[in-house]
Amino acid sequence: MGKESNYSEKKGYFGEFGGRYAPEILHDALVELESTYTKLKKNKQFKKELEYYRKNYIGRPSPLTYAERLTKAWGGARIWLKREDLNHTGAHKINNTIGQVLIAKAMGKTRIIAETGAGQHGVATATVGAMFQMKTVVYMGDEDLRRQELNAIRMRMMGATVVGVSSGTATLKDATSEAMRDWALNVADTHYIVGSSIGPHPFPTIVRDFQSVIGIESRKQFQKTNGKLPNVVIACVGGGSNAIGMFYGFIKDKKVKLYGVEAGGYSSEPGSHSATMAFGRTGFLHGTKTLVIQDEFGQIVPAHSVSAGLDYPGVGPEHAHFHKSGRVKYANVGDEAALDAFLEVCRIEGIIPALETAHAFRFAKDLAKEMGKKEDILICLSGRGDKDVAEVARLRKGEFT
Amino acid sequence: MSAISSAFSSEKSVFIPYISLGDPNYESCVTWADALIKGGAGILELGIPFTDPVADGPVIQKAFKRALAHPFSMKKILEITAEIHRLHPEIPLVYLTYFNPLYSMGLDTFAEIAKNSGIQGLIIPDLPYDTPEAEEFFTQLEKRKIDFIHLVTPATTEERIQSMKSLATGFIYYVTSYGVTGERRALSEGLEDRIKMVRKKVALPVCAGFGISTVDQAKEISTYADGVIIGSAIQKIIEENGNNSELCAKKLFEYASGIRSSMR
Repeated sequence: MGKESNYSEKKGYFGEFGGRYAPEILHDALVELESTYTKLKKNKQFKKELEYYRKNYIGRPSPLTYAERLTKAWGGARIWLKREDLNHTGAHKINNTIGQVLIAKAMGKTRIIAETGAGQHGVATATVGAMFQMKTVVYMGDEDLRRQELNAIRMRMMGATVVGVSSGTATLKDATSEAMRDWALNVADTHYIVGSSIGPHPFPTIVRDFQSVIGIESRKQFQKTNGKLPNVVIACVGGGSNAIGMFYGFIKDKKVKLYGVEAGGYSSEPGSHSATMAFGRTGFLHGTKTLVIQDEFGQIVPAHSVSAGLDYPGVGPEHAHFHKSGRVKYANVGDEAALDAFLEVCRIEGIIPALETAHAFRFAKDLAKEMGKKEDILICLSGRGDKDVAEVARLRKGEFT
Repeated sequence: MSAISSAFSSEKSVFIPYISLGDPNYESCVTWADALIKGGAGILELGIPFTDPVADGPVIQKAFKRALAHPFSMKKILEITAEIHRLHPEIPLVYLTYFNPLYSMGLDTFAEIAKNSGIQGLIIPDLPYDTPEAEEFFTQLEKRKIDFIHLVTPATTEERIQSMKSLATGFIYYVTSYGVTGERRALSEGLEDRIKMVRKKVALPVCAGFGISTVDQAKEISTYADGVIIGSAIQKIIEENGNNSELCAKKLFEYASGIRSSMR
């Protein structure tokens, strides 16, 4: 792993970002988590167990698909897809929950909690909760519960308790705050499975490590198929867990251009987007120092995106660092453009992508046109869009009903 | 001796009530503060509203939401603080706030204006002492003789309490139970021993807060704690009566008097 990685593991910071800015009641739990994880990741049995579940439960390695028809339609670079949508539960989130539930088990915890936006992390947590027979509670904003009802039902079917959060904007930010409060109360028997590369140290490192399987596999698969590396790698960024996982496979390959795509919402006005890199400034949210969308007084401005999973006013601290160092370029794509890309991928490739991923597709489309036919773009298809079909149908006013 | 230290100079345990500034409006908060001080507050804690108060329970979350329904202004916060200070210059005022609004303003600027408004101490639940920013902030506060008050919880190790000593002044805010702010029926076991241990380690007064609401609880805790902090129970009175200023002030005064008279 690169220089950034060594720094983060030593200090809990990525450049100036990261750290541990959590309420004092959580401090010891974070220290325990850090020390357990540090030991486990060198432990052969743990690695073997993780590998077992990756292969036999998640279904890894996920395929690398050449998107022949998209390549033709977009008329430029070749398009390749890393198929995290084909994982068990339908998204990359399970890579992290499997890893974290094994840590929770090692710490002797009997209860797991999570926050969720689009519900994919909630489903992945409910899944490992059932699999490892742990009491599971998932916090989800009321607005997201409306948008992603199907996922709430899936969680409940697997035995999880889904708690609606009505405070604030009733979205991911508020679900995260509520999960932190639950953890503060029940820290003795509960592990909080943070779902993105956010939160106080060591969460951003742990989530990145478990998600880096995406990038490491992709690099091998691409190299094997093409005898070279892709020219460009693209992933969508909310908190940024699929992106950090994908980028980590290529971070040392300086010739590979990395792009993170955030949600541009419906305008650049505060409250109508989730484009943290473009509009955020350094601040402190949910236990970490990172870029945050905030007003002149340091109050957090509500985020917006058509995709519940990108609807977050902060970003993982390691992404903030990559943005500052320039290693990764960040762009944003608006709601309508993402919806268009969503339908385009459905029709052209026969794949219903998550609305989150649709942002990455749209950015790829524009970039592909500027690139040569012998160049390659690899997109992280972070999850499938079954959860989004009702919302898309609603937004496109009955076109599909 | 700082104003906060002198508040602990008698044999009495200090009553420290809390209010969220701006709930339901800024002007009313002067009335609430006045009632609580007249009722027996020895130090007053003032909450600066924040959109994402992760260490607070539903009562204070709702108070912040009501406060933030008006356009938020740090200038207004500081003006109201100065007004309370002008009315009761003998009562130390302490801010309880999250770090982002202070960082956003600039630590040096904030410390300077807070001092001029009469603030004598700061409590920041999401700024642990072992961060680069806490160290920097401590220097800014020390210059202006503002106390940096740290939280210790039932989960905090003795080693960590010891290390906190170099950056802690004023008093220690001892969190009586796991979780966030709000009323609870039972207090954690071994509270008295923990408080004595913290006092010995840090050599500062130790005040207990989180989950204290009744006269009986305040009476018991005051026998061994240097102060008793009550937030949510007071904020609840404001939530229920805040729109009737006179009635609310009366209820706050009665509640504060009841608590104060039960305490050592």
